[in-house]
Amino acid sequence: MYIILVYDIEQQRVGKMLKLCRRYLNWIQNSVFEGEITEVKLKELLATAKDIMNVHKDSIIIFSSRDEKWLEKQVIGIERNELDNIL
Amino acid sequence: MKKSYYLFNPGRMSRKDNTLQFIPVDAAGIEGTPKYIPVESVANLYAFGALDANSSMYNFLGKEQISVHFFDYHEHYTGSFMPKDYLLSGKVLIAQTQHYTHQKKRLLLAQKFVSGATGNMLKNLKYYHNRDKDTSIQIDRIEDLSSQIWETDSIEMLMGIEGNIRITYYSSFDTIINDFEMGIRSKQPPSNEVNALISFINSLCYTLCLDAIYHTQLHPTISFLHQPGFRRYSLALDLAEIFKPILSDRLIFTLLNKKIVTKGDFDIQLNSCLLKESGRKKVVKSWDERLSETIMHRSLKRNVSYKHLVKLECYKLVKHILDMEGYQPFKAWW
Repeated sequence: MYIILVYDIEQQRVGKMLKLCRRYLNWIQNSVFEGEITEVKLKELLATAKDIMNVHKDSIIIFSSRDEKWLEKQVIGIERNELDNIL
Repeated sequence: MKKSYYLFNPGRMSRKDNTLQFIPVDAAGIEGTPKYIPVESVANLYAFGALDANSSMYNFLGKEQISVHFFDYHEHYTGSFMPKDYLLSGKVLIAQTQHYTHQKKRLLLAQKFVSGATGNMLKNLKYYHNRDKDTSIQIDRIEDLSSQIWETDSIEMLMGIEGNIRITYYSSFDTIINDFEMGIRSKQPPSNEVNALISFINSLCYTLCLDAIYHTQLHPTISFLHQPGFRRYSLALDLAEIFKPILSDRLIFTLLNKKIVTKGDFDIQLNSCLLKESGRKKVVKSWDERLSETIMHRSLKRNVSYKHLVKLECYKLVKHILDMEGYQPFKAWW
């Protein structure tokens, strides 16, 4: 599946979350990630994320769709990180 | 699905925070902004440009079962970094070796590889024959030759027939491809645009097969059609035979006939012709898109990508050598 993950996490923990998400998804903006991921990998990611976050203060929101093609994406202004597998 | 990453820009790849960090370096040696590659989404890496890396990155890649394929400046395949085998099976290895040493069993598999490859070549020729490209001479000749495949009693004889089929097949390229001439097949160095494309895409096809084999229990050095030599993964060559007509050749026809790759994408020197970087990028992009295209698999009754087809072929081969189910080479039906 294809997901967009956004998080809102207090400053002292945010670095850890950033590093964790980079392993699984592409960073596109501050605290926003997107990418193709399997259901198992997502579970793995969320289980680790729960260890990092304080569930009373922080939050993660995931928007998911079955495939990238069902997602229309518009970038206004500069694109911080272009997603491409040809570098 | 995991993706392949193709690295053209020179730069440094390193392990950072348990994922991969790529810092591109421009011609003046100035570092660009680092780009993070999500390691969990990487199937393998293809290094075309100058890649700086250290052993901690390779240790990490090894642990994550990510292989790296290297190509030199002239886009020849030069080798791969293969992580330690992780799907070990002594039983399969012994069976595979037995199928190699047993003359009859080896010949049968080799014949199947050749007949699979020939079937797919014929499919290509017939497809273009129906589209006003006269390939009837080649079709007749190859059909004639292919009937001899099952009469061979040695690998050498089979290789001879295979060679003849391939020469005949390549002679149809001039008819199929508009605006370009191929002439005869030449490697090291390729003499013209079509030959350059064939060499480059075939090496991509070879690495694709190698990668699929790595993710199964098969041993990549014990082959059946090709002579298992030293220092090369010859089983990947066997598998590539079947997939070259479907994946490589069809892509070449599309790239040239639809003018995606043009004369300007090649660097023509005195007696060699190579793809420029712009051309290579276009080829790799189309190749990658082609691999993720899906077809409805007839017996599995679900959509599978071209990339996955290669792996399915390995599974069939495993079943064959374990005497569970006779191997039937993949034949395109469309």
